[in-house]
Amino acid sequence: MIQAAVAEILRKSSRVTAEAACIAAISTLVACNSSDDSPPAPTTKTLAGVVAASGFVAGSTTGDPTLKAGYYSGATVFIDANGNGILDSTEVSGTTDANGKFSLTVASDFTLASPAQLVADIGTSATNTATAATVPSHLILRASAAQFADQTAGVVISPTSSEVQRRVEANGTDYATEKANLATYLSGPAFNLGTVTVSGADALADVNTLTGSEQYAVLYADNALTNRYTYATTKLDRHDLYPDNLAVKGGDPRLVGKSGVTAATIVTPLETQAPITFAQSQQAAFNVEGVPAFDSIFIIMEENKSTDVIVGNLRAPTINGILNTYGSLTTYYSTGNPSEPNYSAIGGGDDFGVTDDNWYGCGVVPSGPYALQDVAFAGGTASDGQPLPAFAALPPADSGHRAGYSAASATCGDAPTGGNVHNIPGDNLFTLVSRAGMTIRTYSESMNPGQDPRADSIADPAVSDKFSATSSEGITLSDTQAWPVRAQLYRVKHGPSIDFQTARNLPEFYADNRTIFGMQYTEADWKRQTAYPSFDASKWIYDQFGTDLAMGDVGNINFVVPDQCDDMHGVGTAGTDGESCALGGSSSNNGQNVGVTRADIYLSKVIDKIKASALWKNKQKRVAIVVMFDEGEGGSNGSCCGWNAGGTNSGTKPVTVDAHGVATAGTAPTNYAQGNFGHGNSIFGIITNQQDLGTAKKGIKDSDAYSHFSLVRTLQDMFQLADPAVDASYLNRAKYTEAFIAANILALPEFASSADTHFDSVRPINHAYVIPSTYHQKLYPGDIVGVQDTLTGTLEGVITPQVGPDASQDNVWAVK
Amino acid sequence: MARQFPMGVFAVLLLALAACDSGTAADSAGAGTAGSTAPTLSLKAQVGQKAFFDRNLSGGRNMSCSSCHDPQYAYGPPNSLAVQLGSDPAQAGMRAVPSLRYRESTPPYDDNAANPDGVTLASPGGGFMWDGRAPTMAAQVALPLLNPVEMNNASKADVVQAVRNGKYADLFLQAFGTGALDDTDTAFDDIGLAIQAFENEDLSFHPYSSKYDLYIYNKIGGTLTAAELRGQLVFHSSATGNCSACHYTGVNFAGNQGLMTDFTYQALGAPRNDRSIPGNPDPIPANDDPAYYDMGLCGPQRTDHTPAQLGTPDPYCGQFKVPVLRNVATRGAFFHNGVFHSLSQVLHFYNTRDTNPEYWYPASGGAGAPLENPGWALQPAYVPGATVAKFNDLPAGEQGSVDEEVPLGTGDGGDNTLGGGTAPRAAGSMPAMTEQQIGDLICFLDTLSDGYQVPDTPPAGGTCVD
Repeated sequence: MIQAAVAEILRKSSRVTAEAACIAAISTLVACNSSDDSPPAPTTKTLAGVVAASGFVAGSTTGDPTLKAGYYSGATVFIDANGNGILDSTEVSGTTDANGKFSLTVASDFTLASPAQLVADIGTSATNTATAATVPSHLILRASAAQFADQTAGVVISPTSSEVQRRVEANGTDYATEKANLATYLSGPAFNLGTVTVSGADALADVNTLTGSEQYAVLYADNALTNRYTYATTKLDRHDLYPDNLAVKGGDPRLVGKSGVTAATIVTPLETQAPITFAQSQQAAFNVEGVPAFDSIFIIMEENKSTDVIVGNLRAPTINGILNTYGSLTTYYSTGNPSEPNYSAIGGGDDFGVTDDNWYGCGVVPSGPYALQDVAFAGGTASDGQPLPAFAALPPADSGHRAGYSAASATCGDAPTGGNVHNIPGDNLFTLVSRAGMTIRTYSESMNPGQDPRADSIADPAVSDKFSATSSEGITLSDTQAWPVRAQLYRVKHGPSIDFQTARNLPEFYADNRTIFGMQYTEADWKRQTAYPSFDASKWIYDQFGTDLAMGDVGNINFVVPDQCDDMHGVGTAGTDGESCALGGSSSNNGQNVGVTRADIYLSKVIDKIKASALWKNKQKRVAIVVMFDEGEGGSNGSCCGWNAGGTNSGTKPVTVDAHGVATAGTAPTNYAQGNFGHGNSIFGIITNQQDLGTAKKGIKDSDAYSHFSLVRTLQDMFQLADPAVDASYLNRAKYTEAFIAANILALPEFASSADTHFDSVRPINHAYVIPSTYHQKLYPGDIVGVQDTLTGTLEGVITPQVGPDASQDNVWAVK
Repeated sequence: MARQFPMGVFAVLLLALAACDSGTAADSAGAGTAGSTAPTLSLKAQVGQKAFFDRNLSGGRNMSCSSCHDPQYAYGPPNSLAVQLGSDPAQAGMRAVPSLRYRESTPPYDDNAANPDGVTLASPGGGFMWDGRAPTMAAQVALPLLNPVEMNNASKADVVQAVRNGKYADLFLQAFGTGALDDTDTAFDDIGLAIQAFENEDLSFHPYSSKYDLYIYNKIGGTLTAAELRGQLVFHSSATGNCSACHYTGVNFAGNQGLMTDFTYQALGAPRNDRSIPGNPDPIPANDDPAYYDMGLCGPQRTDHTPAQLGTPDPYCGQFKVPVLRNVATRGAFFHNGVFHSLSQVLHFYNTRDTNPEYWYPASGGAGAPLENPGWALQPAYVPGATVAKFNDLPAGEQGSVDEEVPLGTGDGGDNTLGGGTAPRAAGSMPAMTEQQIGDLICFLDTLSDGYQVPDTPPAGGTCVD
């Protein structure tokens, strides 16, 4: 059933009165025409189109979401004459039918001129026909006047139509430019379905009329855009202040005059907030808390080096090149010790008190609140074709597969009676991304073919090779002999998803744990594997990372985890066993060894591969590479930014947060206060394709304090996985902003009596805060005293803490 | 010339046995880090608390755990004696009494113990006592109880009987079950478990209430002075103090913060604490036997690394546990044999052991007028040309295990030991640290003392301020 109203942009004075009456009545043609003294019936035309939708269906096991095309039925479509995104009383509207069609009858000489636009106001009574589900949250989509003029056969209001106009407004360009840019954005290798070339017409077409890989590529973009525009609508409806609190230059305006905030880091907001406009809300949804939307990020993990061990170290030219040329965070803190708590902090914003590298069943009392709920996996195939074998509910029960395990162990055995809980409940980045219909992957080097990603890798004497590699910098490193695959090249302690129960239970968990090429062992080497004799390695994909980059199937968020030979960690026993990978001589924590060279060579290869991809080269895509370390080395304390700032006696507990942002201390798992302490300063380098290919500024050094918890908050903002107005939407300790802590100090005793509340609290990595002129950068001596280089004899990496603000107030993610 | 033994050594000695075990735990611990929450002690820990202060648990009914591990002195000795007298006052111990604070995360001893930094190569580490021979705190409890030169109980049965007779016998049964005092061996082990529970649970054993904690935890009042910051830098700098190489400041096992130990073992070549030191107030009686050497990991008290033949180089010989440095400034006896009595002495030993061994070890021969050594040296003077008996607390064949890392040695080459090819500092060469750096280091170490009270007005100047 089509409901229609007559409308006209009123230009002809002779008909003003009659037309106004009809519009005011929001009446039908019938009603107006029934008037006894009706003037001659106006010459009208029908303005028709559809409101197209993308529908996300949870449950895909391949790593790529199930997406369906459809329409929004029951949506209000109106001619937004003043461009404010809101149906005003003088604007004419209709409602979409069961097939998403709308039809507005307008005067025959009707034209739509900017700022007027066509708007689809999709309320919670509307239905997305792709999933037959009602719309979960109010959504406004629009099509520009220029698009209206372009699509003469019928206007398609869709997420992409909104996107073109948003880009026009953001970039000060025009419709034709952004239509072409969107086409470029959507084109390229797509989800292992082939390479698509999306025309401008197709980019704005009814997605239901597209097919195959092109349709999936557009649906994928539509889904993410739907999330963004839903959020934009929420902000508009809520009358949010603009900009976001933590995006205000100078600092969070909520802190001005607030008690419980230290004077040394007082904020001086340099911007005034005001209720958000429609146009602002559209942009704000793509710049949550001042963090620009990116399409993909690659987070490459290195191991156990303090800042001074890497800065200036000639063995790490690739890392130093990024730090010197592109972007870096100079006050970045790890949050735990040893590895496992840091990776969990990165994956979900809390380490839950874990202070070792043991398997996720440790401390899990059966039938207790954290009892294991893993289920058997029937096997399957990942989106890129990787065969996934079936796995039992738990990895093989031995200490080779489960670190720290023995059957009878009271903490890490079959039925623990206590100990620090390693199985973390609740949401994490993996569940949030999954729920949003987007993708997150962990690419790990040197897993045994056919192994369960929840288990450590094991030795395989049948796989052996001699290490020799050359970096793009021309540095070559070689061992003198072949070494067989040792145990624990791949370790679950380095998996950011592994400790999270709900991440392991995601249907795509196994498909999202993927392989990446190695250096020492080739594909042919691995295919000789004997570690898992029942696994047919012939179809096994050795380098899903390379495959996915070539086939357009990498995730939105990608963790790249080199093996323990290629991440500066080292394995094996002391001395020469494994040579460039040997623990100690080759890989000790002072960085004066070939383990650093080896990792830097591997890093250069990973980065080269990313940079060679169509994804990176597509300037319309925003792609970032982060090179970071899980923790500093020995000899340094502490952390910042959401840390347990009171230690084991602090009384820290996880908190629950209600809709008003009020925190209540929950029940702490055993020894929770032992965690989230930090392990000093380490490197955080950033390079984006907008710097590499475009005009984005290079050489940015941001010295504001950030931690793994800040990184989690940043990723949530970057991929619109949280809402700054809803504290509870940030994962675990990522919600501990300065304002949040001040408001909830009783539930957060670890932050009492703080000497620097800014330092203690979380903010996204956006450099909105301007550091006061007398402020001394906080770095721990163990991380900045420098290291005597054994090659040059000089003391390298000495860092003098900065006083005052950064030289320039730039955001490392800036895209312009 | 005055040797640097604090007057307190002698004064406190006289009072030690009589007056030191009347206290209760916790009142010296200070406020703790902000937000501290004092847990209620479990029943077992309550039993442990009673037992810890129970003088009847000694042969002479005159000595409790707290006699030597006094809560007023960070659960260390209440005096400056190198070794303490026993329940039988005719007996004296063989090693200096350590503080019991911050022990709860010490792992059991292992020849290849993981280093808490997660990166450094595995090495001997962990365990309780100076030689790690007790795997747990509970097991450690048995050693002084039954040692004739310490608490001097004749048997486990005597100890258990004392508990049966004690006022907390009922509490013991509540905690460990009815009949828990019936079997001697089980009951004796339970006493160890009870004291372990007390040491684990009571915040006075890990108060984290030092100025350093305020600094590390970013709390009001935790701003280090210029001198303390310089000292911290020396502590970390591999070219000068290099302290943090072993006195690891990072997060230890179980998340313990800034314990200043990596739980490893080192052979530092400390001078023998015997009558060869002129004016030595408290030589260890056991050292009167020239054939007796206390060599830590290789014995004689620890027995699993006894060299097959003494004189054959053995890397375990001479190695003692790297101690926790918290509250180190409150101590009066340093190193396993208590041969040093001030931090200044200790740091000067680190600095000049190789460059000026004549300050520390006895010498013989030489000719001419003796040259006066600095006031902090153990040996008051040195005759030019005399031969110094370096590392005189180790048999000649076992001196190769001595540490040559900075600041003791050069740290150049080898495996950090003398026998492993690491170059010592040449006699007469420049030490690693200046006097200023040593002074700053002491100021930093002072910040590790628990019970710090933030002054209303910070001092405007002084040795540890400017």
